Amino acid sequence: MKVRRVDLSLPIFIGIVVVLVVIIALPMGWLGVFAFSDKAGNATLANFVTLFSDPSFADPLVTTLIIAVSVSLICAAVAAPLAWLVARTDMPLARMVRTLIMASLVTPPFVGAVAWEMLAAPNSGLLNQFWRLVTGASSDEALLDIYTLEGLIFVIACYTFPYVFILLANALERMPGELEDASSMLGAGAWATARRITVPLALPTLLAGTLVAFLQALNLFGSPAILAIPAGFHTLTTKIWSLFEFPPKPELAAAAALPLLLLTVALLRTQALVLGRRGYAIVGGKYGPPRLIRLGAWRWAATAFAMLILSLPLFLPYLSLLNTAFSRVSSQIVGLDNFTLRNIRFTFWELSSTLPALRHTFFLAVSAATLGGLLALVIAYVVARRLIRGHRILAFLATAPLAIPGIVLGVGLFLAYTRPPLTLYGTLWILLIAFVTIELPAAYQQFSSAFHAVHPELEEAARMLGASRLRTLGDIVGPLLRSAAIATWCFIFVGVIRELSAAIILFTSETKVLSVLIFDLKESGDVGAIAVLSLTMVLITTVVIVAANRLVGRPAIGRLPTRIAG
Amino acid sequence: MAAVELKGLGKRYGAAVAVEHVSLRIEHGQLVCLLGPSGCGKTTTLRLIAGFIEPSEGEILVGDKVLSSPARTVPPEGRNMSMIFQSYALWPHMTVAENVAYGLRIRKMDRATVEAKLKAILSTARLEALADRYPGELSGGQQQRVSLARAMVVEPETLLLDEPLSNLDTNLREEMRFEIRRLHDRYRYTTVYVTHDQAEAMTTADLIVVMNHGRIEQLGTPLEIYDQPRSAFVARFIGGSNILTGQALDAGHVEIAGARLVAEGRPLKAGETVALSVRQHEIDLLTAPPTDGVNVVKAIVSRGVFLGSSRDYTAVLGDKTEIRITTPPDRNVMPGAEVWLRMPARGCRALMGGNEA
Repeated sequence: MKVRRVDLSLPIFIGIVVVLVVIIALPMGWLGVFAFSDKAGNATLANFVTLFSDPSFADPLVTTLIIAVSVSLICAAVAAPLAWLVARTDMPLARMVRTLIMASLVTPPFVGAVAWEMLAAPNSGLLNQFWRLVTGASSDEALLDIYTLEGLIFVIACYTFPYVFILLANALERMPGELEDASSMLGAGAWATARRITVPLALPTLLAGTLVAFLQALNLFGSPAILAIPAGFHTLTTKIWSLFEFPPKPELAAAAALPLLLLTVALLRTQALVLGRRGYAIVGGKYGPPRLIRLGAWRWAATAFAMLILSLPLFLPYLSLLNTAFSRVSSQIVGLDNFTLRNIRFTFWELSSTLPALRHTFFLAVSAATLGGLLALVIAYVVARRLIRGHRILAFLATAPLAIPGIVLGVGLFLAYTRPPLTLYGTLWILLIAFVTIELPAAYQQFSSAFHAVHPELEEAARMLGASRLRTLGDIVGPLLRSAAIATWCFIFVGVIRELSAAIILFTSETKVLSVLIFDLKESGDVGAIAVLSLTMVLITTVVIVAANRLVGRPAIGRLPTRIAG
Repeated sequence: MAAVELKGLGKRYGAAVAVEHVSLRIEHGQLVCLLGPSGCGKTTTLRLIAGFIEPSEGEILVGDKVLSSPARTVPPEGRNMSMIFQSYALWPHMTVAENVAYGLRIRKMDRATVEAKLKAILSTARLEALADRYPGELSGGQQQRVSLARAMVVEPETLLLDEPLSNLDTNLREEMRFEIRRLHDRYRYTTVYVTHDQAEAMTTADLIVVMNHGRIEQLGTPLEIYDQPRSAFVARFIGGSNILTGQALDAGHVEIAGARLVAEGRPLKAGETVALSVRQHEIDLLTAPPTDGVNVVKAIVSRGVFLGSSRDYTAVLGDKTEIRITTPPDRNVMPGAEVWLRMPARGCRALMGGNEA
């Protein structure tokens, strides 16, 4: 029997490496070069001297750290009891609470910030108006002011604690019941067991979750841009962004991006270390699910507590968005007398930038999901089956963007592609590269775990029966990977729809996307249009996620998107 | 139909040697077991035969056709072999019938032939009733039979089995051992069977290849391997055995713990250090010194366990060597008692080289 074998491994390897260099290594390289150059292109450390001595840079650095620390502490404090209630007690409606907390992740953080502006701006905020109505306070008094450091921390925490919650709830739920039963059998009471067994077992996860929250707060652009700038202060991300306003100072931006990058890398390493030792929680044997703790008379109080927490990221913001979208005057509660569809008409029929932005967003989301998904698929296959020498390099490059904050990537791509040979700035392609890069690690991880679930022997069995490698991919691997592929595609799609932090650096007036449009409308103060567009974005996201869950047959959103959303 | 021949086969991963100098000829229709502990190179050898990995040295021939050599390796799909995997590797998205018919479809057989062959093999494997089930809906034994049927239906030149019974429970495993032998007797495919279970190898194989550290330790029929182990490793691995070390007195006698024992298996040189292998149930445990004193060693019983159909004793010789003895259940001796162990002449086998492997 004649079998011709063409060795494709080298061309494939080179092809993937070139793509990864273009989308990751080149931008990061230019970022490094610019950080150490002056305007004329000479090597210098002056950028870093400015960065750490000039108070207009040092202050944002301190502010950012304060925000990140506070947010992570608040998230841990809120998520821990909530996760325990949902996973380990007989709290009524626990499943619903869990679903709603996950659903609150659908909200892009900057949309949450906009919604909280509508709720808690000192004058027009609905909550403040309500407070004045109840207490009869004068019109220049306000209960809440969202345009403060505390307000910003609160809003970021609202849309960050769900990440910690999901990690922790999953860990608590999977914790083998026997581990606690063994402690009880040895005579430990409920509290001793909780203190000596349950808490220590959950602690690494809580720590890892807190780090996720820290990273999220550190690299977030949307919420600070909406709340901190009117309040008159900067975080590191908004400061980097402001350096691109006229006259642009890309060298300083690059220098300011480096600490953010290094801090993120360091924290991710710490997280890997913390989670890497988690293995000791699951040692051998078959385990039953843990027993639920009876809350007795406190059952409904627990549910009320959960609902109260949920009102902050979910109920109140969406009520205010709906109110603004359908009210003649955004600061008034919608009723029969002032209900209007004017905002919808204005947004979709009169506002000239809406349709192009929607078109761009859809084009980018579909192409990034397709191209990024394919790239991730090929890399994951090559790595999982060790098809070529150097597959580890591919795995490293594919996961590296995880450590690159969106805004840092934006700066890097800006520096790399505003010059020949590839002048992509001003086109949609540079945004496509940004989105593919940002979504690549999560997509790669999805496919990677999917490949690990497909036992290599399933492929080998087909080979033994005479199927070629390609035929095996089509007959065996393809069908088995269907769910993972659908889930990944939808993940990338949703990620692109809501991305702001890289887009804000890379867009031009010709290439606006939905998130940028919402952000831009802030300047002109079209709150009605903002509300309509925000709801549109959330609606599209929800539809895609629900569709994905239907197609896949199990909740795809249950797997935590590891990417820090911007 | 032809013999499978491995010639000086070797596989290295960097500095680590997985398989070394493996030469073996498997005649047409023979069932050969590669037997050894985990990490002994048996699975690597099988995967080399299957074509999943390329040899670093040596070659694999089927008939006079070179299938593998360092220069060129025919991919698995071009070898006309079948394989049964440890995990069964049943495709979860296909029904039993689709799984079994896959190889026939790949061979582009017409619908009628596929139907006929499928029907025949499903009936042989007693799977007709399960044809439309998905693998996830089958028990372990049923999955195993589907896996067998899928491999057999394509009428391969060579059949490879990789620890096929290791995922089954004990009862089912015994049943499947005979099933595999029955199917082999019926179809007579040249078969290579990898296992770490000596009972499995004993029941199924025409020829057993004991492997250790990537090399062939001994090759022979089940009877030869059991009766005439050539090394301490084989003696211990097959059936379990006591290894006693002593000095050769002449060509046929060895001194162990002050006793003169008759040894056989190979001619000895006076003065050399010799390792003897003695099966534990071939030793006769006596509570009084025998009058003839031939082939007898004195020992102190250190431990005794009642196992129902037998008793298992551990005794210590004068030179501190521990020795295990299996006796009939009525031979009751207390720990600490002095006993005399009679070694049957044909049970004391002098091993090659006298080294411990």
